[in-house]
Amino acid sequence: MRDERTVPRSWLARAMLDTVGKTSARLGLIWISVIAFCAVFAPFLANSYPILVKMNGHWSSPMAQHFTPTDVTLLVVTFAAIVLFVFLQRFRLFARLSAFAAIVVLTITLSLLFVHPPLTNVFEQYRDLAKSGDVQWALDAPIPYSPGDHLRDQFDPDRPHPWSPNSAHRMGTDQFGADISSHMIHACRVAMAVGFISTGIAMFIGIFIGGLMGYFVGLVDLLGMRLVEIFGAIPTLYLLLAFVSVFERNIYVIMAIIGATSWVGNARFVRAEFLKLRGQDFVQAAIASGLKLRSVMFRHVLPNALAPLLVSASFGIASAILAESVLSFLGLGLPVGEASWGALLNQAVGAGGAFQWWLGTYPGIAIFLTVFAYNLIGEALRDALDPKLRGAG
Amino acid sequence: MTPLLEIKNLNVAFNTERGQIRPVRDVSMSIFPGQTLAVVGESGCGKSVTALSILRLIPQPPGKILGGQILFEGRDLVALREEEMQRVRGKEIAMIFQEPMTSLNPVYTIGDQIVEAVKLHQGVTSREAYQIAEQSLNDVGISDPHRRIHEYPHQMSGGMRQRVMIAMALSCRPKLLIADEPTTALDVTIQAQILELLRKLQRETGMAIMLITHDLGVVAENADAVAVMYASRVVETATVETLFDQPQHPYTEGLFRSVPKLNENAARLTTIPGSVPNPAKFPSGCKFHPRCARTRKLAASAPADQTTELKSGGEIIRVLTRCVNEEPELREIQPRQWAACHQIASYNSAKVTPPVVDHKREVTTEHSTEAMQLEAAKGQTA
Repeated sequence: MRDERTVPRSWLARAMLDTVGKTSARLGLIWISVIAFCAVFAPFLANSYPILVKMNGHWSSPMAQHFTPTDVTLLVVTFAAIVLFVFLQRFRLFARLSAFAAIVVLTITLSLLFVHPPLTNVFEQYRDLAKSGDVQWALDAPIPYSPGDHLRDQFDPDRPHPWSPNSAHRMGTDQFGADISSHMIHACRVAMAVGFISTGIAMFIGIFIGGLMGYFVGLVDLLGMRLVEIFGAIPTLYLLLAFVSVFERNIYVIMAIIGATSWVGNARFVRAEFLKLRGQDFVQAAIASGLKLRSVMFRHVLPNALAPLLVSASFGIASAILAESVLSFLGLGLPVGEASWGALLNQAVGAGGAFQWWLGTYPGIAIFLTVFAYNLIGEALRDALDPKLRGAG
Repeated sequence: MTPLLEIKNLNVAFNTERGQIRPVRDVSMSIFPGQTLAVVGESGCGKSVTALSILRLIPQPPGKILGGQILFEGRDLVALREEEMQRVRGKEIAMIFQEPMTSLNPVYTIGDQIVEAVKLHQGVTSREAYQIAEQSLNDVGISDPHRRIHEYPHQMSGGMRQRVMIAMALSCRPKLLIADEPTTALDVTIQAQILELLRKLQRETGMAIMLITHDLGVVAENADAVAVMYASRVVETATVETLFDQPQHPYTEGLFRSVPKLNENAARLTTIPGSVPNPAKFPSGCKFHPRCARTRKLAASAPADQTTELKSGGEIIRVLTRCVNEEPELREIQPRQWAACHQIASYNSAKVTPPVVDHKREVTTEHSTEAMQLEAAKGQTA
């Protein structure tokens, strides 16, 4: 329908292209893509259950049988995102975004209702079957250990865990015998989720409150700014510590708390942008053409106010990841047994006080690189969106 | 004939940190269907605030409509609820702004922006709305609208964007178009095109136009009726012919004198001395008296007890006491001409009536262009 030769790009789209064009941002994006890939395909990459197996003449997929609702949701949502945003670009963005949201909600609901993995995991089951010769053919994951697999079949009183890196466990094992490389891959999920969900919450609250303050000014602004000051005075980490010590550990509560305390900066940005934009001619023109307040605020003002928010979001993701790592390092993060880089760091100092370098180095590098990658992207976005550096569109 | 829009004694106030200012006081004017009313005055005289008040676009707070009525087809817009007002905006009364470079949203294609208003007011499907948008882009003379409808504002020139603004404003066939200095930001050739376009669209649709401008050339070419504003008030209103032939108010006279003339060899252009007073400290009496040439001239020959000395712009001037103490009202000086000045001969006997200038100029624009060409041809042969 549209003429492909002269695809016009909006100001924001051009800024995005500029961002991706920067080497630093590209490196950052590559690393984030690797993390995202590991997060989505974790069961394919590190799993005690083979991906495919031929046993007694029957083909089956033990991996699929042990899928959790999270595994299924991530796979379906990723697939839907690729189809919608790569192959169906001729449809309107709004329609595609709504379809995507619908798919996400539907998949979460359906997978929670219908996906029931076995309640007890016997990780060594297929290793035993392979040893006894019952398995004719098997396709194992590249790392054939789940993060919860404590290698009970390989128990050796002379060699207590943790093991330092060796040929079977390239990154070693932890004190319970779990494979670190597997742990690292499955922990990508927490890293991605903490970053995006808590920043998403912070963005949503920040846009809503900042938008109201900037658009209505006066009393709303006065009250809103006081709210911003109150929340700005809450130290996130101490609130998290207090909460975790009183209630049970829950990753979603942690995300919610990080989000609910870090929206302050976003609100200030959005308020400033709305204050600037509300007097602009095109906003007046939008009101003059009879559009409703909702439409003026969210369709006309908000998209123009998003630029600085993107920058603050990418830095926000980085600091959320750090906050979760700190909590896990202090032993107050996720429930025991769930994969998280911070939790691995926590084990780096062993029972006898000895430094177990492989438990510190690998997750440390992963945290560092991820935070660094988000900062690189944020930096490049800020340069691309800075009107002083480029002709304001 | 009943007016399409009738503003009666409109008063607008803004509450600022330094107290209340009143940029619009007791303003009355009316527009008839198919008529072009030009509102003329220097910057800061209240013409834009009047226009924004019609659509209730002045920011509230700090702005506030203190009193008066704005009757649109008999309905008082001042009293309408906000939701009712949203149905009037864009659909019944549309507005185009001075600065086309910033009047379009940079993140949407021009098509998106026109379609949004069309869908809202006409209840049509997206496909039909796109057709209407394409048609209205075509009407304002944008070539290849099928392709350009998908372009972003930054890909267009100022003149193009103003055409898009007009297309957007007219896509819902409003009965009244408020054009707030629509050509001020454009260069002269584009100005002429845009004004010609507005005249053409007015002939085709029969809409009324409220044309806010400070360019008397634009007024002479386009207006049927004129309202001259000075320091928050209408000081003179008349048909365009009467106003140009017999301006009554000294401010109007001053405006005409300030237009540079080709056949005059003046080293300095004539100006009205001084500037529009700050709305926070308007002078007493007639707000024009510190700058008024007429009152100074008359004071020179008047008895001393009828004059007052005052400081204006660093010099001591002598003006008539009545101009300082008493504010003149807008009175009907002659049929279809109202003016507010004590020093008009018939002012004291004239009555205060609501200014209603029901007048459509005789000659259409093509005729006037032809007539001008004829004149030019005559001048060459003579």
